[in-house]
Amino acid sequence: MEVPALRGATLHVPRGQFLSIMGPSGSGKSTLLNLLGALDVPSSGSITLDGREISLLPDAELSRFRRERLGFIFQFFNLLPTLTAVENVVLPQLLSGRPREELLKKAHGLLEAVGLRGRGHHRPDELSGGEMQRVAVARALLGEPALLLADEPTGNLDSKTGAEVLRLIREATRARNLTVVMVTHDPKAAAVGDRLVRLADGVIVGDEAVGAAA
Amino acid sequence: MWALLRLVSLRHMLGAKLRSLLTLFGVAVGVATLVGISAINRSVLEAFRSTVDTVAGKADLVVTGSAVGMEEALLERVRAMPGITHASGALSVVAAVDGRPGERLYVMGVDFLDDGHFRDLKGVDRDVGALADDLEFLNSTDRLLLGERYARERGLMTGDALQLQTPSGARAFTVHGLLRESGPVKAFGGAVAVMFLPSAQEAFDRGGRLDRLDLAVGEGQDVEAAREALSTALGATLQVERPERRGGSVQKMLLSFQMGLNLGSLVALLVGVFLVYNTVSIGVVQRRREIGTLRALGATRTLIHGLFTLEAALFGVVGTALGLVLGRGLARVALRAVSESISSLYVQVNAQDVEMGPWEVGLGVALGVGGAVFAALRPASLAAAVQPVEALRRDVAVGAGEVSLRSWPVRLGALLLASIYPCTLIPPPAENFPVGGYLAIFATLMGGTLCAPLLLRWLHRLYVRPAEWLLGVPGRLAADNFARAPIRTAVPVAALAIGVAMAVGITGFIRSFQASSEKWINQSVPADLFITSSARLAGVRNNPMAPSMLDGLRTLPGVTDVDMLRMLPHDAFGLRIFVVSVVMDVYHRHARPTVLEGRMPSPEERAQGRVTISENLSRRRNLHPGDTIDLPTPTGARRLTVGAVIVDYTSDQGAVFLERARFTEFFNDDRVDTYELYVEPSQREAVRRAVTERYGKAYDLYVLTHAELRDEALGLIDKAFKVTYAMEALAVLLALLGVVNTLLAAVLDRTREIGLLRAVGAARPHVLGLVAAEAGLMGLSGGLLGTGMGAVLGWTVTHAVGERATGWSFPYQFPLATALGMLGVSAVCAVAAGLFPARRAARLDVVEALAWE
Repeated sequence: MEVPALRGATLHVPRGQFLSIMGPSGSGKSTLLNLLGALDVPSSGSITLDGREISLLPDAELSRFRRERLGFIFQFFNLLPTLTAVENVVLPQLLSGRPREELLKKAHGLLEAVGLRGRGHHRPDELSGGEMQRVAVARALLGEPALLLADEPTGNLDSKTGAEVLRLIREATRARNLTVVMVTHDPKAAAVGDRLVRLADGVIVGDEAVGAAA
Repeated sequence: MWALLRLVSLRHMLGAKLRSLLTLFGVAVGVATLVGISAINRSVLEAFRSTVDTVAGKADLVVTGSAVGMEEALLERVRAMPGITHASGALSVVAAVDGRPGERLYVMGVDFLDDGHFRDLKGVDRDVGALADDLEFLNSTDRLLLGERYARERGLMTGDALQLQTPSGARAFTVHGLLRESGPVKAFGGAVAVMFLPSAQEAFDRGGRLDRLDLAVGEGQDVEAAREALSTALGATLQVERPERRGGSVQKMLLSFQMGLNLGSLVALLVGVFLVYNTVSIGVVQRRREIGTLRALGATRTLIHGLFTLEAALFGVVGTALGLVLGRGLARVALRAVSESISSLYVQVNAQDVEMGPWEVGLGVALGVGGAVFAALRPASLAAAVQPVEALRRDVAVGAGEVSLRSWPVRLGALLLASIYPCTLIPPPAENFPVGGYLAIFATLMGGTLCAPLLLRWLHRLYVRPAEWLLGVPGRLAADNFARAPIRTAVPVAALAIGVAMAVGITGFIRSFQASSEKWINQSVPADLFITSSARLAGVRNNPMAPSMLDGLRTLPGVTDVDMLRMLPHDAFGLRIFVVSVVMDVYHRHARPTVLEGRMPSPEERAQGRVTISENLSRRRNLHPGDTIDLPTPTGARRLTVGAVIVDYTSDQGAVFLERARFTEFFNDDRVDTYELYVEPSQREAVRRAVTERYGKAYDLYVLTHAELRDEALGLIDKAFKVTYAMEALAVLLALLGVVNTLLAAVLDRTREIGLLRAVGAARPHVLGLVAAEAGLMGLSGGLLGTGMGAVLGWTVTHAVGERATGWSFPYQFPLATALGMLGVSAVCAVAAGLFPARRAARLDVVEALAWE
């Protein structure tokens, strides 16, 4: 039996908007995020990004799309344990075959911007949770994506560190006019964005402007 | 891809040092065994070929007869034939060196008075060309020229004495000069001496006889046409061959022996490949989240697949490189054992050195790297199938890998198991090459391996209660853990099973063969004392004795009967058979051979040319009672009639039994390989002492009792498989590395769980017991599966390989003691292998283990 996680959810996110999504467990938040991130394909319906239909793309195209147009921030940071911070930052773009030196230079700049000056050569197990998430933010930004997806980015951090990371994401994306979709359980975190969508049982039950936009 | 390999894969490999080292070691040992055996096989053949080639020198054609050689008069006849420009006769004897057990010297008798066309000898301290005028040399019967390498290694110089065994006892020879190691002096590993032909004939009791004629045909003549003409003129009793062809017949004879070794080495490599599979699979499971992340960050499936394949290839390349170095060492160690076995079973070789040639390097790279890449196919596909969403999962899934009867590997395994019997029915495409048997062995090993995960599921049910009863909660958890990742557990279990199966299977074959041989020795070779010279058993290495001892032996008090055995290796019917001669009247008074067809010929029938043949000759050449055979002999082809087919294990090529009187007449040879004495039981020790005192030292005799002869013969069989045993031990060792590998990964995966156990009150010994017990269950399962596979393997090797390759039949006996022993060894060794990961688990810090993530 098929249990749809999302039913008839239609959502339009304009460029530069910071959208927060909230909802209880099982409401379909993660599914929505997976679909937006081209990590999963919908059983029906469509997902368009920058005017391009992505639900029909083959795997290799999707991989390239993720690499070039999307940035990810995960709850558990998902840094590769064998790589240093700076190597983690450049990894996705290395896959695209961009020149290493140029990437490294840019990555060091980004790490400095997220407050990790001088920490680039540390491995994940030598960094705190907040620092790991900053590395993940830098990694997400390096490829200058069209859309940044964040899955409970503060879920594994204490409230002070979480607030700092959120501020960082907010500032970095605003400066670059980046679109952000963030899933969170935390109302305070949700309030950092421009708009809040509430999900329940796979259906959008609320859609409001928040923060400065409210 | 390369960036990922360097940044991700290499660092993982370096991070999990122990696992990487185990894997590299596995590949290296597998490749080493494979290339080592290949190099040994090649160097044994090359040693034989180089002896043939270097001795033949410039000859276009070589004429050889049976082991008794040919009449000297033949040389003049051949010399006079049209088209032959040069002809020279030579004698060659392999003589045991007195006082140096196992050492042999290749003595060539050369006619220094002929035209010297074929002579390619260079003296170190003497002008070989002047020897034709050296009367001291020509008139003596004890002067020889010694190869410089042999002389140097033994510290011998011109003028020194050297004791060699001859048919009339040990004799002292004087080193007349040293020869440079070139031309024929390179033969037989350099252990070469050259004598004046008549001196050698005299010294070795071969008066008027030659072993080989070297011939040259005129410039521009068709050698093949000359060969055919000579062959027709000389008749079937003599072989006329081009020197380069002679190696080929030996190669054919050694094929099944060498295939056995190759098979053993392939198994070691197979187990090494299993280790690669194991390591890559563990990597895929443990790095699932990482793979998901890489995919989420834009890595394509192809890239992930390629990455894991490359990791395996890296193991393959480095492991193969190590294996090639290791293989050279292994080959050097094992060369002597193999060379000895071949010398006592088939043909005298003296392989001294072994080198890795391009063939070995190619083989090692193809199978080492290829095997590693092949091993990675499935885990790499599993890795490529990891969905990007896995990056978002909160729990790291340790892939359990459900096993069902319907999964394709299990189905394929079942199909392979079902094909074992049909495979054994495939007729061999060439003599000594039972391809169906080899296919059946492959089907048994692969079928058992593929069905292993399913078997583990069944075994798990059996284990739970006894384990809990025996070890309490740790036992129970160990049994559960054992079945948690059935595919991962199945890999080391199957690897162990393969090692155990080879041991049980080969031992079963050997025991079956030994039991049949023992029965045969008791019935057909019933004498009480056996007197042989030089070699403890009559065979290719034996130096026959003169018949002059007969009267002396007969008159010893207590001796009731004396038989004289001569066993002559002889080329006939396209085989190197043995012509066995005994005094039939004596033989019939005592022996009770097992007659399979016909009946033993009566004295009248024997006089009319009725003979007995061995079972394998009957099978190989489809000969049955009433059939006639033309046996080539030095005195012409003799037409004989098959009277009876009997069970006989003298030679795996076949044997014809002749009355001694007829043999002497046909072969112009009255020498004796073994005197067989029938003695009153109370007098046996006294007779033995008397023989040793009277003849022992002078003739370098061995006097064996019936029991000693039997043990010697059975020991020879064990010795022939010594290298195979060693390879099985290696395979089991590699499999145990797989156990360590798997348990290390399991401990890592279950860190949090172990922390939890400790938190709720499990003490360190509990954890230790838990992991060690899991290892023990793996070992036990490997032993059980291996024993089952081994029983099938033993039957297959016995019937579909052994019987097909030798023509002998021997009923299969399951080696129960070995099987039980291997079961114990497998379980105990696995527990020992498990102690290291177990200690690692027991030492985990509880707080850290719980906070892991």
